[in-house]
Amino acid sequence: MSLTLTSAVVRKGAFRLAAECVVPSSGITVVFGPSGAGKSMLLATIAGLHRLESGRVEFNGRVIEDTGAKTRVGPHDRGIGLVFQDARLFPHLSVRGNIQYAERRRPAARNAPITIEIARRLEIEDLLDRRVRNLSGGERSRVALARAVVSAPELLLLDEPFAALDGRRRIAFLKLLKDLSKSQNLPLMVVTHQVEEVAELADHVIAMKGGHVVSHGPAAEVMAMPNFAALLDRRDYGARVDATSVAGDHSGGVWIKADSVLLAAEEPRGISARNVWRGTIRSIVREPDGAVLVSLATDTGYVSSRITPEALADLRLQEDATAWAVVKSHAL
Amino acid sequence: MLTAEEIRILATSLGVAGRAVLFSLPVAIAFAWALSRPNFRGKWIVDAIAHLPLVLPPVLVGYFLLLIFGVRGPIGAWLRDAFGIQLAFTAEGAALATAVMAFPLMVRAIRLSFEATDRGLFEAAAVLRASPWDRFWSMALPLAWPGVLAGAVTAFAAGLGEFGAVITFASNVEGQTQTLPLAIYSALQVPNGEETALRLAAISMTAAVVGLALAELLQHWARRRLEA
Repeated sequence: MSLTLTSAVVRKGAFRLAAECVVPSSGITVVFGPSGAGKSMLLATIAGLHRLESGRVEFNGRVIEDTGAKTRVGPHDRGIGLVFQDARLFPHLSVRGNIQYAERRRPAARNAPITIEIARRLEIEDLLDRRVRNLSGGERSRVALARAVVSAPELLLLDEPFAALDGRRRIAFLKLLKDLSKSQNLPLMVVTHQVEEVAELADHVIAMKGGHVVSHGPAAEVMAMPNFAALLDRRDYGARVDATSVAGDHSGGVWIKADSVLLAAEEPRGISARNVWRGTIRSIVREPDGAVLVSLATDTGYVSSRITPEALADLRLQEDATAWAVVKSHAL
Repeated sequence: MLTAEEIRILATSLGVAGRAVLFSLPVAIAFAWALSRPNFRGKWIVDAIAHLPLVLPPVLVGYFLLLIFGVRGPIGAWLRDAFGIQLAFTAEGAALATAVMAFPLMVRAIRLSFEATDRGLFEAAAVLRASPWDRFWSMALPLAWPGVLAGAVTAFAAGLGEFGAVITFASNVEGQTQTLPLAIYSALQVPNGEETALRLAAISMTAAVVGLALAELLQHWARRRLEA
């Protein structure tokens, strides 16, 4: 039970998407890649909004598109929901009308989410009687999400759902998505180009570049691959570690940027940082601008640190030596 | 203010234009919808049919209608034999001629309204399980509704003034097919008819201006709604 794309090719103008990947039927799959990688197009293709030039898509044991067999299930019959980046609320309906549009069309047999409960979770209860044109960007995102969840899809696709949200709301929305996926037993496929969000959300990752899937699989595996690192900005370079917050209300992955990790040659004492990892230095790479990237293998996985050449000389770090990585909790 | 005669002429005009719009509106919506779609085979034929009355002389349109819907025409004869309906030289015939002439105006306004609708909304409806048919009724039509109304009002106002096609196909029968322009024409044919003609012209003007203003108002409303 999952979604499988086999040799799927889609062409839109000069852009060509060639995708080969599997989306598991539970948890959150994050599609990551630089802009122009074809992430949104992949989502629209899965939803049935773009026609395949060739290839095959199978969803929950059903072939929903196969150019060889000339089968194609329309977007309305796939049971796949999609939240667009620009929300696309219906301007001739109120917020309530938008949500009811989805409610009226969902199959009766599905174990349907309760509309008012979803509205409460997404904090849009007070907006229900408003016209959609008077909503803020963040409100639109939440109404669009509510509408999609209420339609009870078997898989929900979200195209950069955080684009309209600022820092604090972003974190709240992230948490909400994880909770929703779990409580509604709803598999999600989320597009983002923020590496922190990938680490935070993903159970599975599909990494894309230039219209191709570079790699796909469990988040911890994919994010540790060199071809994943190759997709990142230098500033974003780092490593994913499994983490649980001090308050215990949150668990999952965390992306630790190399720029926010300190290295110590001896075990640090009497410092305020909560996260100190002991590890073995696996690689020391000099970057073109002179900075040095040190990778440490620890019990919880790899951690990278970017240090100056002077620090490297002072600490006398070398491969296979033991070192300590220190991260301020705040950086997580 | 108006004489009984003038009221009767105005009523005939309103009745003819009203029926013309009512009957051709569904057809116009279908044509406009088809023309607003991305290219399909034979689109130019549909486009040509919709625009033909605009470029043909009205008298020619009336004459074609006579050939087809006249008592001896293929459809006209069948209508008379099967249902006892006669179109030529009746008010229904005047409505038919008016409908054909106003058709391109209506199609154009409705088509623009369909084309102005954000396609992305149809995609959003599709992923909420709305079938193409459902999308037409729940999204396309409600979003284009003000434009449809504006097209109908424009066609109605224009229909009040249709002359050539009506006089050719339905003739100029007092109390039956004599609409405002036909009555003005008749008044001008008799000596000392100028005053009657002038009064009728004023009525005709007023009706047309009110119609146009109404259409403009509806267009404005349409634009505001689509901007949301």
